[in-house]
Amino acid sequence: MSLFEDARPESLAERRRIIGELASHPRRRRARLVGLTGPPGAGKSSLIAELAPRVLALQPDWAVGVLAVDPSSPISGGALLGDRVRVRFPPGDDRLFFRSQSSELELGGLGRHTFAVCRLLQHVFDLLLVETVGVGQSEIEVTRLVDRTLLVLSPHWGDSVQLMKAGVMEIPDAAVLAKQDLAESGRGAAALEAELARRGRVLHRVSVRTGLGLEALAREIAAMEPPAEAPLTRREPAFFARWVAGEFGRSGAAALEARGGAAAYLAAAGDVEAAMTAFPTDYRLWLAD
Amino acid sequence: MSDPGPGGRHAHVLTEDGANTPDRPWIFRTYAGHSSARASNQLFRQNLASGQTGLSIAFDLPTQCGYSSDHPLARPEIGKVGVPINTLDDLHVLFDGIELAAANTSMTINGTAMWLLALYLALARERGEEARALRGTTQNDIIKEYLARGTYIFPPDASMRLTAEMVEYCVDRVPQWNPTNICSYHLQEAGATPEQELAFSLVTAIGLLDLLRERRRLDDAQFARAVGRISFFVNAGIRFVEETCKMRAFVQLWDEVTRQRYAIADPELRRFRYGVQVNSLNLTEQQPENNAWRILVECLGVLLSRDARCRALQLPCWNEALSLPRPWDQQWSLRLQQILAYETDLLEYPDLLAGSPVVASKVAALADAARGEIERILAMGGVRAAVEGGTMKSELVRSMARRVARIATGEQVVVGVNRWTDGLPSPLLGGGDSGMFVPPSELADEALAALEAARQKRDQGRVRAALDALRGAAVGGENLVEPSIECALARVTTGEWADALRQVFGEYRAATGVDGQALPLDGARMAALRERVERLCEKRGRRPRVVIGKPGLDGHSNGAEVIAVSARDAGLDVIYAGIRLAPAEIVASAVEEGADLLGLSILSGSHMELVGEVMDRLEEAGAARDIPVVVGGIVPPADAEALRARGVRQIFTPADYQVVDVVERMIDLVEERA
Repeated sequence: MSLFEDARPESLAERRRIIGELASHPRRRRARLVGLTGPPGAGKSSLIAELAPRVLALQPDWAVGVLAVDPSSPISGGALLGDRVRVRFPPGDDRLFFRSQSSELELGGLGRHTFAVCRLLQHVFDLLLVETVGVGQSEIEVTRLVDRTLLVLSPHWGDSVQLMKAGVMEIPDAAVLAKQDLAESGRGAAALEAELARRGRVLHRVSVRTGLGLEALAREIAAMEPPAEAPLTRREPAFFARWVAGEFGRSGAAALEARGGAAAYLAAAGDVEAAMTAFPTDYRLWLAD
Repeated sequence: MSDPGPGGRHAHVLTEDGANTPDRPWIFRTYAGHSSARASNQLFRQNLASGQTGLSIAFDLPTQCGYSSDHPLARPEIGKVGVPINTLDDLHVLFDGIELAAANTSMTINGTAMWLLALYLALARERGEEARALRGTTQNDIIKEYLARGTYIFPPDASMRLTAEMVEYCVDRVPQWNPTNICSYHLQEAGATPEQELAFSLVTAIGLLDLLRERRRLDDAQFARAVGRISFFVNAGIRFVEETCKMRAFVQLWDEVTRQRYAIADPELRRFRYGVQVNSLNLTEQQPENNAWRILVECLGVLLSRDARCRALQLPCWNEALSLPRPWDQQWSLRLQQILAYETDLLEYPDLLAGSPVVASKVAALADAARGEIERILAMGGVRAAVEGGTMKSELVRSMARRVARIATGEQVVVGVNRWTDGLPSPLLGGGDSGMFVPPSELADEALAALEAARQKRDQGRVRAALDALRGAAVGGENLVEPSIECALARVTTGEWADALRQVFGEYRAATGVDGQALPLDGARMAALRERVERLCEKRGRRPRVVIGKPGLDGHSNGAEVIAVSARDAGLDVIYAGIRLAPAEIVASAVEEGADLLGLSILSGSHMELVGEVMDRLEEAGAARDIPVVVGGIVPPADAEALRARGVRQIFTPADYQVVDVVERMIDLVEERA
């Protein structure tokens, strides 16, 4: 997996080989992708620790992967990834996998390599939970990656006007109001629920401490249909465009757009790795034109 | 301001002919216990025969964390840092030949404090001794476990409930018992400043007393007596003048809090009663004989001022940074107490410092700063909110980092460590054991055999009924002490008692204090390390990843946390895996996270067993070659040799006080593989 976090162009050929092999492997899986996002301290990690074993109890043949993205320090570039402390799975259960990832100063809650790693993991797991930190609009990126986004809020989230101002309500497929065992948890929940209902979405009230609502949420996730194809294929153009913008800035993004856009470029190159290998040369040629 | 003497009591002044009532000696204790109940009983008797006047029981980590000796997490830790207690039968052996009514017994026990109290009360019942006559202390300060020491089991609410119920139970039935001993000790070990020590321990006491009032189980007279039984466990560091002033500030502030906040009228019940273990944090591995002087000076901080003198004192040993102390080392420390109490004239005088303007102003400054801090924490929702939100923990990690940085720069002098480092070899480290204590490991089997025997001969029906009643009372909100005593009488085991309550309360993972930290380690060397890491990132196409965690049950996480934060500041991605990890879990973490380095921190003395198992599992996982392992802890040289032979690449001990050095050596290893 470290290979998929390797920014060097030399790694692309090997990545391409592995993805190709996995995609055609007879025992390959097709992951349902679920994102969990929300402000720090909302209880995302604790929720994952409780949900994953419950989903496995309902779907004993599944393999479940967790990818947790935490911010890097803007000063040193290093990151302290502490979610593992909170997500403790029963030791020895190899159906559960946990990987921490640093954001490498990317905005939007996802790391620089999150998409690349997910492209690998989608073939290996039946369910992939992607945990991202975000406040306000920066969670939006995860919705471009996953099939279903759960917005996790704690009872201290403030009022729904605040949330709407922040644009957060546009994000989720469902919201999870955690820590429902706290005394002050009733406050504002009804308004939030009404706002979600207006948008045709639901609010799950859960408590890791009492177990409230966890089983129902796990059942919903366990009942998700597997995607028809490798789920991230149709998301590749967006992430390729993001990669171009990240590596080559606005002018790179504009050049790609002017030459037909990410989808067309990907189709011509064959796959993501080929496109990432070819683009730098192409871009230099375009600039020279 | 004039100093009327702490607590508003006017200082005694000598009469013209020098007459004065001499003070009574404090209680002499030695923190002791290891291997098995039988071996510890022998040690206790030996210590009492040498003139020790109270017992201070060290329990092993499985007992402290609520596991029986045969639990997989317990095996490597049996008898390492204290005595293993599985059932009431063990307690019978531990106190064989020691009369309970004559003993004053202090137990360093927190997560399972109620269980140990229940065992002690059950022991008294079976021996036909009166509970009313029992004197002693259960440490039972869970807040500092979340903050610094790590032997908590249940979430804060449930833990605080257990403490409150012990107070409510003891107030009439075991009236001479201190059901809780609020600890500032471990806060100083975790890096707290004197102001933080004062404030954090006093808000802890306020948190408990507020809870007792809310629960309304005590009437006013009972509540006042409960306040009178709150005792403190304090640390005394090397800055002994400031420490003396800190103790006077404690006396003054506690009197204020109990009078103003709780309206306690009787000054006796407002007395600040405290025991002390002097500082271990600043005992050095280098030139360890110097620690003898440090211990002596640290004693003065809690003995000089009669108005703020400790009630009980236990001293560490000169070689604590090297290994667990031997019986002789403990005797040497006890002799120091005896010399101070009986050879010197210390006890003959009234308070020596009353009326000193220097002391008065220092006390006032400390008390003012602490008042501000107390108000700040109370305004944020009190001690529970500060623990759950991680703010107190973060402040401690920050203070610790500052201390480490001061020593690193030489701003804080530590003789033999950053000044006058060349010395002659110490003859004290000679002898067959090189001045170290190794608990005989075969005694672990004795604990296991006793556990098995107790299980065989007990009445299983009574055990089931006792555990059902315990769970029922836990769910129903009834006081759990009496059901726990019935469990003890029925020979329920430590693990069974804790498991029954885990089922009801759940288990807790405390805030790590590493989130959002920045350490003051800036400087040329740190910048150079960052550069090296950046070059590594370019060369390898990705940022190096380090997994850091604590295998075993030892919860002293400060060291691991400081290293984790520093490594992050040097530019590494650090996956902090936390405490209380089985070797299998930590290896799974290293493999799943694709670690370039695995850092283990172990302070319980179980490094041989735990590291051995980690190395075995790494080999099984086929990762032993890919993931270099480094170990930090109190590792004697012979063990270090053995660990290197097992493949450990670097070993860091208290001698490696320069955090930058540690991080640099970690980066060396990562670079080697790149």
